[in-house]
Amino acid sequence: MNGTLAVARYSLIELSRRRILLVFFIIGAIGIVGLGVGLKILYTIASSSGSIAPNNVDPAVFNRFLELSFVNYVFSALATFALLIAYAIGMTAIYHDLDSGAAVGIFSKPVSRFAFATGKVAAAVAALVVIVGVLALEARFVMFLFGGGLENALTGEAFAVVGNSVVVMLIVLSLSTWMNNIVAAVVAFVYYNVITGVIAFVHNLADNGVITNNVVKTIFDIGYWLVPHELVSSAVGDVVRAQVQISGGQTSSQTLAAIPPASGLGDVVWWAVVVLVFAGLVYYSVRRRQV
Amino acid sequence: MAAVVSVDRLRKRYRRRDPWAVDGVSFELEPGQAFGLLGPNGAGKSTVVKMIAGLLRPDEGRVQLFGSDPGNPSSRKDLGFAPEDPDFPKFLRAGEVLDYFASLLGLDEVERKRRIPETLEFAGLDQERRQVRQFSKGMKQRLGIAQAILGRPKLLILDEPTADLDPLGRRDVRALIDRLKDSGVAVLLNSHLLSEVELVCDTVAIMAKGRVLKEGTMAEVVPEGRNLEDVFVELVQANAPPRDQLPSFITEKDKP
Repeated sequence: MNGTLAVARYSLIELSRRRILLVFFIIGAIGIVGLGVGLKILYTIASSSGSIAPNNVDPAVFNRFLELSFVNYVFSALATFALLIAYAIGMTAIYHDLDSGAAVGIFSKPVSRFAFATGKVAAAVAALVVIVGVLALEARFVMFLFGGGLENALTGEAFAVVGNSVVVMLIVLSLSTWMNNIVAAVVAFVYYNVITGVIAFVHNLADNGVITNNVVKTIFDIGYWLVPHELVSSAVGDVVRAQVQISGGQTSSQTLAAIPPASGLGDVVWWAVVVLVFAGLVYYSVRRRQV
Repeated sequence: MAAVVSVDRLRKRYRRRDPWAVDGVSFELEPGQAFGLLGPNGAGKSTVVKMIAGLLRPDEGRVQLFGSDPGNPSSRKDLGFAPEDPDFPKFLRAGEVLDYFASLLGLDEVERKRRIPETLEFAGLDQERRQVRQFSKGMKQRLGIAQAILGRPKLLILDEPTADLDPLGRRDVRALIDRLKDSGVAVLLNSHLLSEVELVCDTVAIMAKGRVLKEGTMAEVVPEGRNLEDVFVELVQANAPPRDQLPSFITEKDKP
């Protein structure tokens, strides 16, 4: 336990001093504030110059539309930055100790590889949760510019984003123990964002009746349960539906099919299994590693 | 007296098609003994000490550290290991590195607060506030030795400990080894500096191409009237192709 805590504590100190994480955090923080303030300024200018009135748009509706747009952008921004931070942490947390030779000193101490791997994973997850949590909190404050009311949606989405990023980070962590960290990041990207993304997308289309071919449906049904499932909060669909409603559009079945459905209990359980599998893989890689 | 380290017919190669990096090495080390492991570059010395420290797994043979497998973390409790070309988590400061390693050694806070400042002072790093990534090779080497002695080890392995040290640092390391030997600590020294080994070691083994060519007490290995360097060169050259040819572009006379 002491070994795990020591590894976690000093890995967190190291991560807090890495400039790449600071840069991603600052860009994310400035981006969220800039987006919120920018949309608010747009609303203020538009309403004061009366450019909303000729189109007979109610300013309150316009404000709501801007808020929904902001929330939508924030969802994308959070997901993107959480992913970047997951890659940055995954590529460095264990790899730099192994590559620099620091692991030689660490592993010659009376600490088990299990304690080392657990400490590293704990520190990496804590760092990710703190960074994404602070960005989500900041977004929550910015939402008050528009009057608020969608905070719970943001919280749900932040949890989903963190959950997905943890999976990506564990994949990169385990791969970077075996191979160069840049190669590990590329392999993880292809696996998680390309292969898994395509399988989930086609599976979703088949589920919504857009793809009717039974062979394709079966293949992607099986494939879907062999890859990590991206967690999706109900907020994404709610926001898109509200946007379509405000703009007076009709939600067709194809539009709905393009919106990923909220994750169910099965997906959450599958996520937990995937996290355990990849965390186990991190331990196995560290255990096998000779330095 | 129970051996601190027992190495028995150890063999290791890094890839299946590679030659053996260590090929049938055996020796024992007892408390208070200073053992010098000598050999040219690529002789397999560092591979041997890494197997003793539980960092590499032997392909064949057996290593016992304080009577158990060095892969078992508790067997490394009394081991201090200063690796060749040491490095540390680069965004930490010297004091933080020592605190990290002291925590891994299981030292409580009171003991950490007592030992770390003294160890930093011994290593000449007590005034250093920069992160490890800004350290010179010599400073890293001093920190490597500092972390190795932090746990008051019963076995201290020093792999080329003075390669990047200035003459004062070398003298300090020699004094440290003498002091530790006197207090019953076993020392395993890997070094190219034969004069240094001659000064501090009781027993030596000369290795080349993964094998031990000669082993014994200093008196057994170095006959009277000769020095360790002569014996080393003679042994190593007899087991390796001659390498005294300079490149032709150095030896050729200036052309008009």
